Amino acid sequence: MKQFGTILKFELMSYLKNKIFVGITVFLAAAIAVVMFFPNIMTAVGDKDSDAEESASTEGLMLLSMENLKNPEVIEESFSAAFADYEVEVTEEDEEAVKEKVVSGMAECAFVIDSPTSYTYYVNNLSLYDANTGVADEVLKSMYGMNAMIEGGMSLEAAGEVLAVQISHETESLGKDQMQNFFYTYIMIFALYMVILLYGQMVATNVATEKSSRAMELLITSARPVSMMFGKVVASCLAGFIQLLVVFGSSILFYNINRSHWEGNMIVASVFDMPPDLLVYMLIFFVLGFFIYAFMFGAIGSTASKLEDINTSVMPVTLLFVAGFIVVMMSMSNGNVDSLLMRVCSYVPFLSPMAMFTRIAMSTVPFYEIAISIGVLIGSVVAIGVISAKIYRVGVLLYGTTPKIGSILKAMKKA
Amino acid sequence: MRLELQNIRKSFGEKEVLKGISFSAESGRAFGLLGRNGAGKTTTIRILMNVFGADGGKILIDGKPIDYQKLRMGYLPEERGLYPKKKIIDQLLYFAELNGMKRQEAVRAIDYWLEKLEMTEYRNKRLDTLSKGNQQKIQLVTALAHNPDIVILDEPFSGLDPVNAMLLKDVVKEEISRGKIVLFSSHQMNYIEEFCNSIAILNGGAAAICGEIHEIKHNYVRDKLVVRSEHAAEIQKELGSCCTKKDTGELFVQLSSPAEKQQMMRRLTESYDIDEIKVFEPSLNDIFVEYAGDQN
Repeated sequence: MKQFGTILKFELMSYLKNKIFVGITVFLAAAIAVVMFFPNIMTAVGDKDSDAEESASTEGLMLLSMENLKNPEVIEESFSAAFADYEVEVTEEDEEAVKEKVVSGMAECAFVIDSPTSYTYYVNNLSLYDANTGVADEVLKSMYGMNAMIEGGMSLEAAGEVLAVQISHETESLGKDQMQNFFYTYIMIFALYMVILLYGQMVATNVATEKSSRAMELLITSARPVSMMFGKVVASCLAGFIQLLVVFGSSILFYNINRSHWEGNMIVASVFDMPPDLLVYMLIFFVLGFFIYAFMFGAIGSTASKLEDINTSVMPVTLLFVAGFIVVMMSMSNGNVDSLLMRVCSYVPFLSPMAMFTRIAMSTVPFYEIAISIGVLIGSVVAIGVISAKIYRVGVLLYGTTPKIGSILKAMKKA
Repeated sequence: MRLELQNIRKSFGEKEVLKGISFSAESGRAFGLLGRNGAGKTTTIRILMNVFGADGGKILIDGKPIDYQKLRMGYLPEERGLYPKKKIIDQLLYFAELNGMKRQEAVRAIDYWLEKLEMTEYRNKRLDTLSKGNQQKIQLVTALAHNPDIVILDEPFSGLDPVNAMLLKDVVKEEISRGKIVLFSSHQMNYIEEFCNSIAILNGGAAAICGEIHEIKHNYVRDKLVVRSEHAAEIQKELGSCCTKKDTGELFVQLSSPAEKQQMMRRLTESYDIDEIKVFEPSLNDIFVEYAGDQN
């Protein structure tokens, strides 16, 4: 136990004294600070320049060309109301002149309306988010409906009332609201993915470095392999956890300082309104998920004689993890986190840290299912830990080419 | 304290690496574990250090099974290596603590050894900033700082300049005089002869010969004569194939039995002008070549 403590302290201090580790952590906290203080900074800058901006700001010009149409003033009025962001102006010029004005930038866009049901929309560069045709369709459809109703004998007021009718509705989610919890689940799964993969691979590299630098020759005669394996894995887990704590802690701190500026932003507000019990589940699945992968990475690292071998050796484990990540991400994006595939994945030890966590966050999972998943995961962590320590004990003594699985198993039986 | 290895056997898969190794070493004496590459020295050391168990045999301390909780061992592996990017004091403290020392005790011991090996100025430097010889001295501190009862030194002199080799010699002699069991593994026979009282030569996983060096030499079959004379050519002509000339000009006379040596000495001294004639005394190198030469 004393050896475990010594190894844990040494390995953890190696992370904390590592300039890259400290640099990345500080950079992440600083980046979060910049993002969180951004509205504050913008408001401060905006206040100074607001007067100047007001006088200088001009709305985009929208041209309307509608020869031979009835009630042009009604159309202009309707377009002006619908496109409040634009300065709507009726033009008598022909289509070519209108196009030229749009191309030259004198007008931002133009509608050349041929009939009550058809028009051509001209814009210089069509933005991905340009919704003007949709709005124009609605305006013209309403006008067409109104004209039809008036022609059918309805009064203008009655037709206006029919078209202006408002439908009210309420939505009440009896379980989880995926609209609200999508973003924080996404952030947490991504954090889980990054930390497990990054620090897990660090464990493998760490072990392989000790082996290739031959420090292992001295280590194996000074400490028990189980203490070495567990010391390294727990130290990496703590280092990852410290980094997560700094990132999430600084996010929460900076959010609370700037809360007034962010409350209007649904996405950001939803992320920080995360239920505390979910944080507990995050912690459980992070620790267990980290352990199961870090043990495997450690065992693989012990079988490599050179650092260059690590990348190819860890590939199967990395692919398994990436596959789990893709399944979870796809299920999240199509909103079906309780699909059969996700249900199965939430009991498979290597995939459950992400799959079950996603289901807990975005759906309603009975407690017994969570308990079974965590139970299976704990059992697997212990089993993988024991097997990895045995592989480690054998692997660290094998030099030369990376040994085959069969020869490792044989050596494990003998050890 | 007496360390005994009795009939240690070990196989890796189908390959039998140790076929029943036995030897013993005592406090205040150095023991040389010799053998060609692949003879089983490192496996024996690893079994002794409990890195893995033996398939059979016993390791005893004063007649009782070895207790690794009570016994401290220090090891200088042949394959040197520590953490190149870490500060020297940090890694020395790490290994001292892993070997059961308390922090303060470890700091004192490390500072003592750094000063003794003239390495104090490098205490807070990174290991990779040191020369190979100095890195080796740092590695020696990891083997000695925790005041081990058994010190195992595998090729301790390789890579050291004559001044550092002298420094290390003094350290090894001091450890022996402090009552430690020193296990020495080296291919440099002059160092073995200088320090070790007893040796075991391993060959193909078995001890080809084991015992006190002077006894091994004494028991060596005394059936060879070394002759130095101006009449070497004539002697060689007379004795035929049993006489060979060495590069040094000396003649090497193989007798049919040790009992023949007096008669042959008389015959040669009476017939020729002989500068020197003596019974051949093998060096440790000769013994090594003879016993470790043909690996099974």
